[in-house]
Amino acid sequence: MPKADLIAGVSLTAIGLALLFWIIPLQTEQNTGAAVPPDLLPNICAIGIAVLAAILTVRAARNTAPAGEVPAGTEWAAMVAIVIVVIVGAVLFEYVHPAAAGFFVCLAPMLYMGERRWYLLLALPGTLVLAVYLLFYEVLGTAIQ
Amino acid sequence: MMDALVSGFGAALTLYNIAFIAFGVAIGYLVGALPGLGKGTATAVAIPVTFYLSPLAAIAFLVGISKGSTAGSAVSAILMNTPGEPSSTPTALAGYPLARAGKAQKALKMGLFASVIGDFVSTCALILMAQTLAEYALAIGPIELVTILAFSLTFIAALSGKSLVKGLIAGLFGILCSTVGLEIETSTERLIFGNFELYDGLPLIPVAIGMLALSEMMVQIGNRRSLEEQADLLRGSGKPADARVTLEDWKKSARAIIRGTGIGIFIGILPGLGASTGSFLSYGMARRAANDPDSFERDGAIEGVAAAESADNAVVPASFVPLFALGIPGSVIAAILIGAFIIHGVTPGPLMFLEQAELIQGIYASMLVASLILLVIGYFGQNMFARIIKLSPSLVLPTVVFLCCLGAYMQGGGMFGLYIMAIFAVIGFFARKFDFSFVTFLIGFVVGDGFELALRQSIGLLQGSPESIVEHPVAIVFGVLTILGVAAVLRRKSVSTKPADKAAE
Repeated sequence: MPKADLIAGVSLTAIGLALLFWIIPLQTEQNTGAAVPPDLLPNICAIGIAVLAAILTVRAARNTAPAGEVPAGTEWAAMVAIVIVVIVGAVLFEYVHPAAAGFFVCLAPMLYMGERRWYLLLALPGTLVLAVYLLFYEVLGTAIQ
Repeated sequence: MMDALVSGFGAALTLYNIAFIAFGVAIGYLVGALPGLGKGTATAVAIPVTFYLSPLAAIAFLVGISKGSTAGSAVSAILMNTPGEPSSTPTALAGYPLARAGKAQKALKMGLFASVIGDFVSTCALILMAQTLAEYALAIGPIELVTILAFSLTFIAALSGKSLVKGLIAGLFGILCSTVGLEIETSTERLIFGNFELYDGLPLIPVAIGMLALSEMMVQIGNRRSLEEQADLLRGSGKPADARVTLEDWKKSARAIIRGTGIGIFIGILPGLGASTGSFLSYGMARRAANDPDSFERDGAIEGVAAAESADNAVVPASFVPLFALGIPGSVIAAILIGAFIIHGVTPGPLMFLEQAELIQGIYASMLVASLILLVIGYFGQNMFARIIKLSPSLVLPTVVFLCCLGAYMQGGGMFGLYIMAIFAVIGFFARKFDFSFVTFLIGFVVGDGFELALRQSIGLLQGSPESIVEHPVAIVFGVLTILGVAAVLRRKSVSTKPADKAAE
């Protein structure tokens, strides 16, 4: 059984139904008086997603769908790591300094990927931050804030 | 048309524009040469740099990047057997054995020449065809537009992945995401979850950067061990004839280049087929025409490199035909370029030829200039790019992550853009792994607003008399084509999954 497709099919069916019966009605104003209701297209999309995802689930269960691929452990870890890098970068930007955030979002993936040469760990993020500073603040005369 | 093009050259041939075209081609060539960093990533990440440029310089810069990266992907394919993009896989099949035989320079040069020829001829085809098609497109009303967009999305969904069902889900999800924000007719809030920053909808560039670039970085970083093992140094044979393209090589490759360019233009005009289809088809036909087809992968074949690269590069300009003429993006690059056009106050579509005629001619001229600059930069910079691609992934990938964050922050309204990028990077990650077409998602997202507007107008026009659809034969034709297309794909899939086929596999 194509496990990845089964997971995707069941998840998307649930998402489609949640959109149709819960999220769209809750997040879209009804009775606006318009000739075409504002939730028409979102509802069409939600119905389409739910129906097609159900077909995908059935096909996966019958083993007749072209299978996707369950992410490997290292890929899961990389996904989580990158999301954390973006969030920490945003926090540094907000509460410390834009340069610190820029330095971090380059340095952290380097360390994660096993780079341990100290001069490169300093030089690459430093060069990128400096290049952005020169391009935007000095050449283009604008600010990143 | 010639007068207009000449005036376009007048606008394009300024030092300012040429500098940005050259800069774009050089960056694109470098990024294309780096394995895993495709033209979509390069173009999406570069958009913020264009904020402060004139519309012509901005579009020319991005077009330069897309052209450069398409041609540059042949470098790593030939030298390292690692295609910079999937569409360069046939180049690796025929080119890497040549490199191992000490003919890397010959293969690289022929790849470059074939790329430039395919790209240049395809740009000429774009110039000749787009305006003619746009004149017909002006007669298209909302009812026709709804069916054309439905047909295009179904076509793209069917062809851009392994499964039509998954493609359609991705396209619908893209349209659903485009409905976030204030509704166009009554300004009603939709799906904004109390966040006023979503009033204008999801910002395109952070969504595109997340789906295309950052999600790709997640996969690449997750597979860093295999990336690091791909480095492979190759040396030349020392014979002068093995380092240049001889008359004999041209004789062998001329037919493959002509055929490949034609295939690339045809494939590029059809939305969703993509450069990989073009390069594989062209390579397959060149292989079939050879006396000893097996020698292509065994010993390498200069005509195989020429066939794949000419088709690969011809697809990109031709894919702008539906974008310019109809406002429908037929590829990832075209979808990203829509974002760039809108940033600079230009709406792609048939009216562009009336309202922005000078800009269009300037873009055409810039595209032709970019082809020539590609030849110069590729020819003289190949050795340098070949050295750069051997840089460690632990230096390249973090740089891309940095550029992704910078681009999303600048175009997405600050922190909001960063968070949107991160969310769509996770969605893009799962789309890649579960084989949902992120191309279809992105195109659905881009055309979603226009689709909804046309749908609302169509419902208004047909109110009370749905039978009046018979007055719109174009809509009927595209509606029937959509249904037939879906039926044909489903039938093909059910035939291919019969037990006998499975046993044969």
